[in-house]
Amino acid sequence: MDSFQKKFIEEATDLINNLEEAVLNLEKNSTNNELIAEVFRIMHSLKGGGGMFGFDDISNFTHNLETIYDEVRNGKLKVTDDLLSITFSSVDHLRSLLDPDALKNKQIKKNNDILLGRVDSVLKSADSSETTQIEEQIEEQDKNTQQTIYIYFAPNESIMDNGTNPLYLIDELCSLGASIVFPRTSKVPMLSRFNSSKCYTAWEVFLVTEEHINSIHDVFIFVEDESELEISKIADFDTLSNEKFNKNIHSLYSEKNHFDPTVIKSLIDEVIEERKSKVVNVNEKLKIFTKENVISSIRVSSDKIDQLMNLVSELVTTQASLSLYVEENQVHALNQLSENIENITRQLRDTAFSISLIPIETMLTRFHRLIRDLSSEFSKNIDFITEGAETELDKTLIQGLTDPLMHIIRNSVDHGIEPEEDRIKSGKTPQGMIYLKAFYSGANVVIKIQDDGRGIDIDRVRQKAIEKELISSEAKYSDKEILDLVFIPGFSTAQKVTDVSGRGVGMDVVKRKIDEIRGTVDLESKENVGTTITIKLPLTLSIIDGLLVVIGDTKYVLPLNLVEKIYAYEHNEFENAFNNIIIVDGEQIPFYYLRDEFNISGKPLNVEQLVLVKYEEKRIGLVVDSVIGEYQAVLKPLGKLYKNHEIISGATILGDGTIALVLDTNKIINELSFKN
Amino acid sequence: MIDEEILQTTNTYLTFQLGDERFAVNVRNLLNILELIPITKVPKSQEFLKGVINLRGSVLGVIDIKIKFNFPVTEYTKETCILVLQVLMEDDLTEVAAIVDSVHDVLEVDEKEILPPLSVGIKFKSEFVTGVIKFNDKFVMVLDMDKMFSPDQLMEIQEDIATDA
Repeated sequence: MDSFQKKFIEEATDLINNLEEAVLNLEKNSTNNELIAEVFRIMHSLKGGGGMFGFDDISNFTHNLETIYDEVRNGKLKVTDDLLSITFSSVDHLRSLLDPDALKNKQIKKNNDILLGRVDSVLKSADSSETTQIEEQIEEQDKNTQQTIYIYFAPNESIMDNGTNPLYLIDELCSLGASIVFPRTSKVPMLSRFNSSKCYTAWEVFLVTEEHINSIHDVFIFVEDESELEISKIADFDTLSNEKFNKNIHSLYSEKNHFDPTVIKSLIDEVIEERKSKVVNVNEKLKIFTKENVISSIRVSSDKIDQLMNLVSELVTTQASLSLYVEENQVHALNQLSENIENITRQLRDTAFSISLIPIETMLTRFHRLIRDLSSEFSKNIDFITEGAETELDKTLIQGLTDPLMHIIRNSVDHGIEPEEDRIKSGKTPQGMIYLKAFYSGANVVIKIQDDGRGIDIDRVRQKAIEKELISSEAKYSDKEILDLVFIPGFSTAQKVTDVSGRGVGMDVVKRKIDEIRGTVDLESKENVGTTITIKLPLTLSIIDGLLVVIGDTKYVLPLNLVEKIYAYEHNEFENAFNNIIIVDGEQIPFYYLRDEFNISGKPLNVEQLVLVKYEEKRIGLVVDSVIGEYQAVLKPLGKLYKNHEIISGATILGDGTIALVLDTNKIINELSFKN
Repeated sequence: MIDEEILQTTNTYLTFQLGDERFAVNVRNLLNILELIPITKVPKSQEFLKGVINLRGSVLGVIDIKIKFNFPVTEYTKETCILVLQVLMEDDLTEVAAIVDSVHDVLEVDEKEILPPLSVGIKFKSEFVTGVIKFNDKFVMVLDMDKMFSPDQLMEIQEDIATDA
């Protein structure tokens, strides 16, 4: 496969994802012309690209699909559920066609043929209803808007006797809308017989108005009896704005007799024909418009971004050594320069980091689709609501997050949301709800997935845990502790194994995956009310605000967002503390003496520092030799040699080139508390 | 820096000393030789994992091959070196650092001159020795660095940590 084909696959994957998103939106809003145009445009690009790079299967397959949406765009077809389901299946099928040899696979080939057949049948049904559809569309456009009315008004000769001026009536008529007035003077006699008090003129008026035809009758209400009056609607749209019609009408006027209705009818038919072709033109314009409108971002390979991030990290480190040098040597001339570089570096760092952030939105399409498919599979009625889709996360985090979120949502659909009847029985709305909310919280991004389903049966979890000998039947556990048991590997409460969940891999996998990206998972559930899963993630994987501390001859970084307070204590206070508990501000705080825990030899300092960190809902003290201060740590992995080393989440290089280790306080407290 | 020319040939070996034995490593695995620089200890890790070093902004894990091979532990001297190696670890090329007592010559050895490993009379873990080179009437053991960092070995590392804790 050459590099162009690889590029195409990359691009096509994006296009197919966009297509899926557009179709999902179209499902909610099936008459939105912009969405239809977008679906068409994406298919068109897929077809074109496919043909150009030798993916003929994609190109052939998309061709017919594109035709359908072309018809939809032109109003010849309507977006139906059937059409949408074909499109969804096609989206999936297109994904498998990205493999150039896909059609050699019998199953895919069969699928291909079936879908093509369905597409064809939709197209055939389109042909038969073509003409009525287009007229409907035109009608639609002019609905409640303008119509063209023909008025023939020939007053009696004596109409002016009772003070009526027919010209005023014509004026009033003209005030209702655009009009052309043709006076008919054929009855005007020779001058010798002309009686100036009599009216000999008749009028023909073409009026374009939004008013109802009755209001035109109203104009003539007082003269109806004394005149010959004909009022009729000749078209449902504005004919006068059509140049051709105008011209023809004027040329017809040269005759003395009034207009022949059949001639007018044929003129109007001509206009209708012309308008039909115009609708297509408008769509054509729309297409061009959307095409011009899309280039607001560029594609950059993620390798390049990674490289940029590495360089920026290195720059931050180098800049730190420069600052250190300037500070130590008091080089006055360099002071200002160093500060400037520090400033620019910080901005560069922020910009570079923001490049690798992508909105959560990018993975939401998949979930919309998943819920749509699953709810029809389980015949459940579920609404998926998202909030904060614009929240941005590091791209590697998004990648790591997709699978666990998928799993959580599957669980909600399968176990959480009840069938409609059950919901009504328990007094809930028939439609279930899954709610995904993402928001920033300090240096973290929080993602909440909430459902209003049946919740987790705590007794069942307890029983199952006893069955599996995870807990003893006598031990008392809080509900929260019981709930946390679902995160233990091999625990799954599903009584029936379904395709979706309950295969023994469950929440433990979710937890592990979230752990891998340095996140935490929290589970809350109330029976009959629903389940809420809260995932907390670091904003980015590669930089953290830390507190730089010293233990022995090594420097460590503690995540600053977890640090609450720092206290200085004499060494012997820790030594004499009973059961590793120390009184801080009148509160009993358990602490860990890290020098001992890390097996560091040598004489401890007389005064040591107790750093209070948040751990779950508690506060735990960690004793270190001394505290240096705040530090922006560019996180570097410890490498594969240390990949099973959980308590250190990475390393960072300090200004003087030495390495500081980044402590994962949650993990270390976990480990130490288990040990004791 | 090592010449590209040498890097391309696969029958070039660097010999080095561990205790009283001499070993060789294929230069295709070798990126750099450093003098002993400060190593940052990582707490709660196995004995042969000595810590991490900063190599031009990258953090590399350091192993002490002597400890891994159960050689008696000796003090580091000014001869002690760090070899920066590139090895295949779980299908990824990864950089790691290894401490050796001292480095010696670079040898050009034809493949057919490499003898199969001895199975008896070796007082250290021999599973990483792929062959023996006879040089100046002494035996030089060729180490397979990829194998030393293979998943099996990492599993063993994991188990060791588990028994430690």
